[in-house]
Formats: sequence, C-alpha cells, structure tokens
Amino acid sequence: MAYIGEKLEQMFPTYLDYDGQRRAERLFHVIVILFGAVGLIWGYAIQQFSQTVYILGAGFALAAALVLPPWPMYRLKPLNWQKPVDYETQAATPNSNEAKKPKKKK
Amino acid sequence: MNTFFSRSNALLAFTLSVLAALTFLCFLSTYFRAYQADVALKTVTVVVKNVPDYSANREMNDLGYITFDLEADLTSLFNWNVKQLFLYLTAEYQSSNNKLNQVVLWDKIIRRGESAILNYSGLNTKYYFWDDGKGLVGNKNVTLTLSWNVVPNAGHLPNIFGDGGHSFKFPLDYAPSVRSH
Repeated sequence: MAYIGEKLEQMFPTYLDYDGQRRAERLFHVIVILFGAVGLIWGYAIQQFSQTVYILGAGFALAAALVLPPWPMYRLKPLNWQKPVDYETQAATPNSNEAKKPKKKK
Repeated sequence: MNTFFSRSNALLAFTLSVLAALTFLCFLSTYFRAYQADVALKTVTVVVKNVPDYSANREMNDLGYITFDLEADLTSLFNWNVKQLFLYLTAEYQSSNNKLNQVVLWDKIIRRGESAILNYSGLNTKYYFWDDGKGLVGNKNVTLTLSWNVVPNAGHLPNIFGDGGHSFKFPLDYAPSVRSH
C-alpha cells in the first residue's frame, strides 16, 4: 500500500510547500469547526441531531475540496534548494582533485 | 500534510474528533431531562381462569384476562437525542408464592417522527397474564403501570415509570374455561 502510494505520488505529485501545509491545516480546522458549530446550533434549534451530522459532512466535503488537491495557492513559497552538484564533471576538474589530496596526506 | 493521503488522513481524523465532540454535547444537553409523563390507565374487562399451563409444568395455573383503556401524551419525551421509546405495561402484585410478581402484558415502540399520542380503549393484552399458581383469583391489589425505555443517540438508557398507575381486583370466582379438543 505504501509502495502504491509512493508510485502515485511520483506520477501525480501532490506535495505542498511548508507554508502551504501550515495554511491548509489551518483552513480545514477553521472550516470543520465552523460547520460543526453551526450544525450544533441548527440541530439544537430544530431538535434533529441528524442535521448536525449532515452539516458537519458538508464542512468535511468543502474542506476536502479546498485542502486535498495541491492547489497552486499552497505552492507559493517553494524551498530554495541548493543547486544539485554534478559529481562526474566535478571530479574531472583539477581544482577539486587538488583540494582532496592534502586531506589524504594528513 | 505533505501528500494527498496524509492530508486525507488528517482531515478525516479531525472531522471524526469534531463529530465525537458534537455527539457528547448533544448528550450533555439532554442529560438532565426527567422524561416523565402522565398516563391514564383503566381496566375494562377483568376475568381470571384456572387452566393448564402447557408452556410450563402443565399444572392448573391462574390465567388473567384483562382489557384496558390507555391514554397518554408522550410527545414531550422526544428531543434531538431520542431515537425511539419502548413502552411496556406491567402488572404488579403480591401472591402467596412470591412477594413481588411483575408480568409484562403489552408493549409498543414509538419511533421518532411517529405520533406519540396514545388513546386506546378496550385494548387486549399482547402477552399471557400467567401466575405461577393460584395468586390471581380474588387478588385485591394488582397494579398496572406503563413504563418506558428512552433509546438515545448517545448516552445512557433511562428506564422511566409513568406517573399514574391503576389498581384493580380480580374476581373471587373463576370464569368457566371452555376446553377445546
């Protein structure tokens, strides 16, 4: 299952950047709690607990639509990775060879 | 929160936690309800026979036969934490065999949304009123009581005895029993 998940993640990347993850979590907390509170009040008003559950379910659906897909608004602050080091071309240059040699002597 | 699956997991777990909290609040909001109501009961026919109880020891036992009037408005018992009411009518009496006898004679389920206003006259019992001996004939104090279980969405299961029982006497003589072959 984990293997299938990794494969799917490679085929359709769904990652968010760190700031996007924080905002996504905040967003679904707010939505689910808000719908839950409204559902509680409405369900109490008409004395039907099933309505409370349905309203919470609507909040869940809305939060899922806003948070689960990797929307562009969660990818506004990508991490500044260092540029990948190409070891093969680096090994061919004389500078890097010389830098390593003195270390070996010590 | 990085992958689709971890976000689904977090969202589902959080929603279920909120649902549990809402259910608990629903339970709290109805915890102090008394669930009491008035019941008017009256017997119409009261007959006692002495017939063999083939379901038990085949000995001759007392079998009561009663019809009754029942009037009650249980609409006020329903709230958002009540799924249904289970009503049951019991006869309670003392006999020489037992200090306390309790026999369930009739029951009814009222679901949420159904009419909770009961107005019956001349109702037959659903279950046989057997005594385990000769405790019914001439019994001067048999009390009918309507009780109910309140079945909730969440919380405990209250067992309530309705206000307003009815006491009656059984006749001193057995009614003639017709033997069928």
